[in-house]
Amino acid sequence: MSAGDASVSKPVPVPDEITAPFWEAANRGVLAIQHCGACERYIHPPAAICPHCQATDMRFREVSGRARVYTHTIVRDNVTQGFAPDEPYVIGIIELVEQERLVLVANVVGVKPEDVSVGMPLRVTFERLNDEIALPQFTPDGGD
Amino acid sequence: MDEFSGRAAIVGLGYSKLERRSPRPLANFAREAAAAAIADAGLTVDDIDGLGTIPNIAAYGNTGDLEGIDIVTVPNMAQMLGRERGIRWHVQTPGLCPDTIMTAAAAVASGACTYALVWRAVNVPKGRYSDFSRARAYGDDQFRAPYGFTMPAAWQSVALRKYMHDHGSTREDMAAFVVQNRENTQLNPKAYWHGTPLTAQDYLDAPMLADPFCLYDCDIPVDGCVAVVLADAERARSLRNPPAYITGHAQTTWPTRGGFTDSEHMWEGGAAMGEKLWASAGLGPDDIDAAMLYDGFSIFLYVWLEALGFVGRGEAASYIASGATALDGELPLNTSGCSLGEGRLHGMAQIAEAVLQVTGRAGARQVEGVAHTIATVGAGTLASGGLIFSREPRA
Repeated sequence: MSAGDASVSKPVPVPDEITAPFWEAANRGVLAIQHCGACERYIHPPAAICPHCQATDMRFREVSGRARVYTHTIVRDNVTQGFAPDEPYVIGIIELVEQERLVLVANVVGVKPEDVSVGMPLRVTFERLNDEIALPQFTPDGGD
Repeated sequence: MDEFSGRAAIVGLGYSKLERRSPRPLANFAREAAAAAIADAGLTVDDIDGLGTIPNIAAYGNTGDLEGIDIVTVPNMAQMLGRERGIRWHVQTPGLCPDTIMTAAAAVASGACTYALVWRAVNVPKGRYSDFSRARAYGDDQFRAPYGFTMPAAWQSVALRKYMHDHGSTREDMAAFVVQNRENTQLNPKAYWHGTPLTAQDYLDAPMLADPFCLYDCDIPVDGCVAVVLADAERARSLRNPPAYITGHAQTTWPTRGGFTDSEHMWEGGAAMGEKLWASAGLGPDDIDAAMLYDGFSIFLYVWLEALGFVGRGEAASYIASGATALDGELPLNTSGCSLGEGRLHGMAQIAEAVLQVTGRAGARQVEGVAHTIATVGAGTLASGGLIFSREPRA
């Protein structure tokens, strides 16, 4: 098969012991981020032990889904299966409003790639991949 | 300075030919480099009793790791040298070459072995080597591969965009280092891009891989191998080459937290590594006469120049544009062309050129009066390392 064959599916996340609550929430249309009960900081990607204070009291907390573009790239030449038909597509490093430098990776959708800019306000939306996985994605937030 | 400073040295250096998509198996390149390094040290194969390497394929995604084709391990090298019975010490470290060189330096300094051979053999894997072709994404990949954040050029592109945004840099500004580096490459006959100049306009016109990252922001993947021979300081003095004493060393475990998402980690990790590096040698940025900073991707140059304190935050691009890092500038930088110009040798280009410059063996590109050089490898985060080489054993 050729790279970028539209019939080939994109990689699907495999939840594990640490990350399962993130994906369970996403599957319900909720963005939930790991939160340390000791130092009260958010952590992403989820970790077994808090990387800031080494505590083990790790929970998941629903967040607002509001964010901004921390930085981004416009991918024009990727050979990973399933993505070539989307090119050019935007990968955003998305900073959630809840905490400085609390970032996650998502595509910025619903906007022309060249119109995406650093600092652009965003809100979460979900892209369903299968019965168990919905990917958090981000789209420009008009502000309401 | 720490107790280790100056107790071991690189005494021999050897290159294979650097080719692209060669029909020759990688084992042949490794054997060629090993033989050259041993001869350069004025030793014979029977003197080598320590071996160290990094047996990783230089790829992300779903490529093979066939012995002698994609990787060359210690047992393979021992056999190729006919030294299965003579190797007293060996190590295989995943990651990047400073870990291996430091470990080998400790081995020769401690007496665990006498002469250690360290090599890094890399190839251009078949097909597209950052093709994430697995249907499922585990670990950190679960938060990036489903989004198509699957190629190293894209990982570094987000860092470059943030840098340009934070410091008001343009792509014209970013051309300065790449063009200067290619000029240095023209004085290095071993380099893959030797004989192929590059102008600022070439850089600006190059294909975008992941905007704002273009083809020439990436190093040039090659099939090749670089090997070095290490000895303790006392033995080093009696050999044919001036020794490149290892007077400073640092490694880092700085986490990336989710892979290359927040580029601030590169500056923070690089600065933390730099503090250890300068302290170990009892030296600082002003003592360095030539710098070989890792440029597997162009953005790393700005990370290292700023994180190590050569310039302030956000000042690297204008410092380069001022001419300060040219061969005749105050801080000659990547004088051989290193990763972008010589070839993707995963840090061995930096190590090799730092050794050649400090021992006065850099030929047409030799900087005058070099007492101390620095080589860094990585991006300031996990597995990154740095070494300082000096003409005299104690800084």
